[in-house]
Amino acid sequence: MTGHRAAFFAVLKKELTDALRDRRTLLTVLVSSVLMGPLVLMAISGLVASLESRAEQREVYVDGLARAPTLRNFLERQTYTVKEAPADYEAQLRKSKFSDPVVVVPSDFEAALLRGDVPVLEVVSDSANQRSESGAGRIERLLGGFARERAVLSLALRGVSLQLIEPVQVEERDLASTQTRATRLTGMLPFFVMMAVLYGALNAALDTTAGERERGSLEPLLMNPAERWAIVAGKWGAVACVSMLIAVLSCFSFLPGQWVLRSDTLAAMFQYGPREALLFLVVLLPLAAALSAVLMAVAIRSKTFKEAQASSTVVVLAVSLLPLVNVFNLGGEAPWYVWVPALAQNTLMTRVLKGEALDPAQIAIPIFVCAVLAAAGVWYVARTLRQAALK
Amino acid sequence: MIEVRSVAKSFAVPAAKGAGLRGLARLGRRGETTRVHAVRDVSFTAPAGHITGLLGPNGAGKTTTLRMLAALMTPDAGSLAVDGIDVATRPREVLARLGMLSDARGLYPRLTARENIVYYGALQGMEKDAADARAQDLGRMFEMTALLDRRTDGFSQGERMKTALARALVHDPENIVLDEPTNGLDVLATRALRESLRWLRTPAGGSKCIVFSTHIMQEVERLCDSVVVVAHGRTVAAGTVPELLAQTGETDFEEAFVKLAFVADPALAGAAP
Repeated sequence: MTGHRAAFFAVLKKELTDALRDRRTLLTVLVSSVLMGPLVLMAISGLVASLESRAEQREVYVDGLARAPTLRNFLERQTYTVKEAPADYEAQLRKSKFSDPVVVVPSDFEAALLRGDVPVLEVVSDSANQRSESGAGRIERLLGGFARERAVLSLALRGVSLQLIEPVQVEERDLASTQTRATRLTGMLPFFVMMAVLYGALNAALDTTAGERERGSLEPLLMNPAERWAIVAGKWGAVACVSMLIAVLSCFSFLPGQWVLRSDTLAAMFQYGPREALLFLVVLLPLAAALSAVLMAVAIRSKTFKEAQASSTVVVLAVSLLPLVNVFNLGGEAPWYVWVPALAQNTLMTRVLKGEALDPAQIAIPIFVCAVLAAAGVWYVARTLRQAALK
Repeated sequence: MIEVRSVAKSFAVPAAKGAGLRGLARLGRRGETTRVHAVRDVSFTAPAGHITGLLGPNGAGKTTTLRMLAALMTPDAGSLAVDGIDVATRPREVLARLGMLSDARGLYPRLTARENIVYYGALQGMEKDAADARAQDLGRMFEMTALLDRRTDGFSQGERMKTALARALVHDPENIVLDEPTNGLDVLATRALRESLRWLRTPAGGSKCIVFSTHIMQEVERLCDSVVVVAHGRTVAAGTVPELLAQTGETDFEEAFVKLAFVADPALAGAAP
């Protein structure tokens, strides 16, 4: 037969038409994947903006303010506004209604301080209440400053040199660039785009294999003189196209997503321009092709769409869990990461977000792995197709 | 012309798993299979310009034989040929000359009837325009022109069957094989189908070689020029309806069929399920 290519394109065109006409499914995937970017960014920027505004407000809530004029004096000299904490601050903190840590002053604070009895200042926060928790460190440092000042003053009065009190000076130097710091916040974006690619492929992959079996249209399809591999390649091409379309949309959705950033700091840190979007695509498109083939290979074994959905859960789980290796492995990136699908893509995209240069070899390896996976998937489906049609 | 010579096919089917926990315990084990002989020895020749009925009870091996003809299965023994072309060695050339309406006739619900038909035309290597024109012709032949541009989602059984048949005939094949085509059709649709097949048999319709598989003897009596009776995976009789009546000494074709299919072979009579 002369028409391998004709058969391939006929199947490709038909499957694309079919997939694009499945409006409801497509719309669900589109809305969730394309809106995902801006929504995640908005959520992160909202959090960062509220942290920033808290830091700028320079407020300290104290329970028992009247009992600690010395502390008040110190705090006000640090240009902090000192406020009396609400009476039921504990209950409010627990319910996350109150988002600042509270300094609790004991009843005989001033007297104890004068006697040198080391009174206890409590900083109350709730570690389940993330915003109060993040403020606690700042308050503790502030109170540490108060303690140090008291110590220095009392020693200086006794004629002790300041160098003796602080024999070592500690200074922090942060090596992270602004972009690296931003990845602590934007680190989940690669995960979201990978999920979008996966769910983009999922429905089409299942429909062209298990769906075809369930409808009883696979057997008549194979009664055409078209080569089996041309049919499978056409189906795979269509699934990969849909998945890639979702990948493109979801990668570029972060560009307008940036406009809604409420935090200037985050906007400055999160550098995601057309260049980053293109690099994301270089990493994601091969993954879309590979996932399409793997999902088809898993689904061709199932007689019904529903059964295929159950067995494809394994693939979905693998793609969502493999990137977590990055989180659990504290030893940093290992060289074998780039050989593992999903983990490799996650690693590379994280690096793009950090603004690090990508080594061509490190891009080539995941592309190679994806090509092998795609070829293996297509081969397996073509091999199983006849058997699948009859059962 | 379709020739089927002494084909045989058996399958390994997993042994029945016990219910409940016992079945679960056996789940992991392999190799517990029994062989089912779907087709033991089926032979027939269907000439051009002739409607050949393949008559047999459910499970007689008709569908398996037709699947071997469409190269979906490889026979364990025997051979099949379409217009003198061997199915085993040149399956694609056979499929290009064969229009088969199989037992499974699923359509694509999101495509229109026309798109369903044209898709198969493309897979048969037809040009878009030719396939389109052919879909129009078939639409006229099966009186479904009004359906052509509707999506097949929501079609009735009869409309589905017409679309599937038009799809199978898009490349205007010389040989037409229909597996239980009247399943689920009402009287009018069955009549219309019979008319179409009669026309396809005539020189004006292209003198097609038509094989019509069914388990309903009335269909055969009304439509077929000759009958091949298949039972328990074997060809048990062949000839025209009057010939089979004479052979069995019956006047009623149903009686003749029961005699041929269930009683004729004493060796198998006891083995019948």
